[in-house]
Amino acid sequence: MLDIKNISVTFSPGLPNELKALRCVTLQIPEGSFAIVIGTNGSGKSTLLNAIAGVFPVDEGCIRLGGTDLTRRPEHWRALRIGRVFQNPFSGTAPNMTVAENLALAAQRGRARGLGLALNRQTRNLIRNRLENLKMGLENRLDTPIGSLSGGQRQAITLLMATWNKPSLLLLDEHTAALDPQSAAQIVQLTNEIVQHNQITTLMVSHSMAQVAAFGSRVVMMHQGEIIHDVSGPSKQRLRAEDLLAIFEEVRRGDQLDPSAAELLRQRYV
Amino acid sequence: MNLLLSALTIGLILSLLALGVYISFRIFDFADITADGSITLGAAVAAVLITHHVHPLWATLAGALSGGFAGAATALLHVRFRIHPLLSGILVMTALYSMNLHIMGRSNIPLISERTLASVAEQWIGTCRGGSPFINFLGWEIPIRDAAMLAAMFGMITLAGIVLDLFFRTHLGTAMRATGDNAQMMRALGVDTGRMIIIGLIISNSLIALSGALLAQYQGFTDVQMGIGMVVWGLASVIMGESLVRSRQLGLAIMGAIMGSVLFRLLVAIALRWGLNPNDLKLITALFVFAALTSPRLLAWIEKRRRAAKQLN
Repeated sequence: MLDIKNISVTFSPGLPNELKALRCVTLQIPEGSFAIVIGTNGSGKSTLLNAIAGVFPVDEGCIRLGGTDLTRRPEHWRALRIGRVFQNPFSGTAPNMTVAENLALAAQRGRARGLGLALNRQTRNLIRNRLENLKMGLENRLDTPIGSLSGGQRQAITLLMATWNKPSLLLLDEHTAALDPQSAAQIVQLTNEIVQHNQITTLMVSHSMAQVAAFGSRVVMMHQGEIIHDVSGPSKQRLRAEDLLAIFEEVRRGDQLDPSAAELLRQRYV
Repeated sequence: MNLLLSALTIGLILSLLALGVYISFRIFDFADITADGSITLGAAVAAVLITHHVHPLWATLAGALSGGFAGAATALLHVRFRIHPLLSGILVMTALYSMNLHIMGRSNIPLISERTLASVAEQWIGTCRGGSPFINFLGWEIPIRDAAMLAAMFGMITLAGIVLDLFFRTHLGTAMRATGDNAQMMRALGVDTGRMIIIGLIISNSLIALSGALLAQYQGFTDVQMGIGMVVWGLASVIMGESLVRSRQLGLAIMGAIMGSVLFRLLVAIALRWGLNPNDLKLITALFVFAALTSPRLLAWIEKRRRAAKQLN
């Protein structure tokens, strides 16, 4: 279970371009559930994921995962329990190393990296088996440098790497946004299979309303660094893409009003 | 013949420098110029220990180890204090100049009359073959000292290359290569990339200092200025090796760096023989690296122009 309490993140504090990217965000994700974060550009979705992963420290608040306090832990320490897939398909794999070497690196997550050979026959067979499950023909390209694969193939491998040893939490940061529609659909389906099959607690940022309506058991909408809607249970099941668009429209209209003018109107009419 | 022999031996000794530069520049993409200081550090430590009658083997190992400390210092400046890699290297290299003078106590230590690895190797082969100070190789009379050193270096560098190749295939070694290739991914896989850089620079600078310790014993002296321009020299060897093997595959790349170093040294020896002014050597080495770095872009540009011209026709 992921337990986030009152975390805030401010970029360039004290400078003219100061940005409060997260304002006292509190969020709990129960073990094994699949939550999707949506929101406009700059609403703080990716900042939330990066704060959980430990890319930068939070100003205040605390982040706990399965009872362990992660707040002051460095990124690589948290990564022992957290799997991540990035928006950029090039971010999750080492391009000049082979498919097998990349997966062997992932298989060693959480174990000591000593002087044993990274790729023995046993590891290679295991890697081949898991790649067969992807049904992309990658099991025949174990010794190909990953840089020569397509974005969709690289993202599929990243997903496999992030979930190789079941993580306590999986963070997906718009991981299909940079792919062509066909690859994106393939990756979405693969994500769903892996997450369902292993019952992985997952937090996914998405821009696709269709994805949001079709997947996950909960939708969290962010705006200006705050969570403004949190829909789960039966109301999430009834949620359609049009409903989400309507909420977005409402948020957009709210933005166009000056806060002081809105206050004036409220005092006069409410 | 002696010219060729000494060029081969120095080329082999400096191939350890090339391997060190390959690790920092190519594997970690870390422009580490500590090398200029750590090669002298290795030579200085080895020379001082040898003049104090420590067995040359231990003196050489101590020299290599001292380079590891220099590498750790540079890596820590970058990892812990977030100083730019290039500046970290410059700081440590500059500090090392004073340190080397302190270690040596003067600016030059002659080793000609001391018991060095070269004289040990000479003795060893000499007792195996008895009396004559020359050895017959394909009709040439070669001083045993040179032949012994060449054979010893050949064996040692081959061993170093194989060990490095194996090391970079282990869990730790692949994690280090991946850190240079995509550090963000390695952090996401739970690896402390800072630690990988520290270990990497320790290995790289140990090799470079080892190269310095061997070079001092072969040439018969340590000079506090001997490190100047060595990074560029190593880089030139690496680049030459890459054009020789034309492969990014690990084992071939390591072999390339070794071959590049030997070939580069041979070319330099020939150029010097033909009357190249030794003072111009560093300038020409720098120009060579410049040409090697820019020529791929230049060639691509020419190719583009040619294609554009073809399309116009």
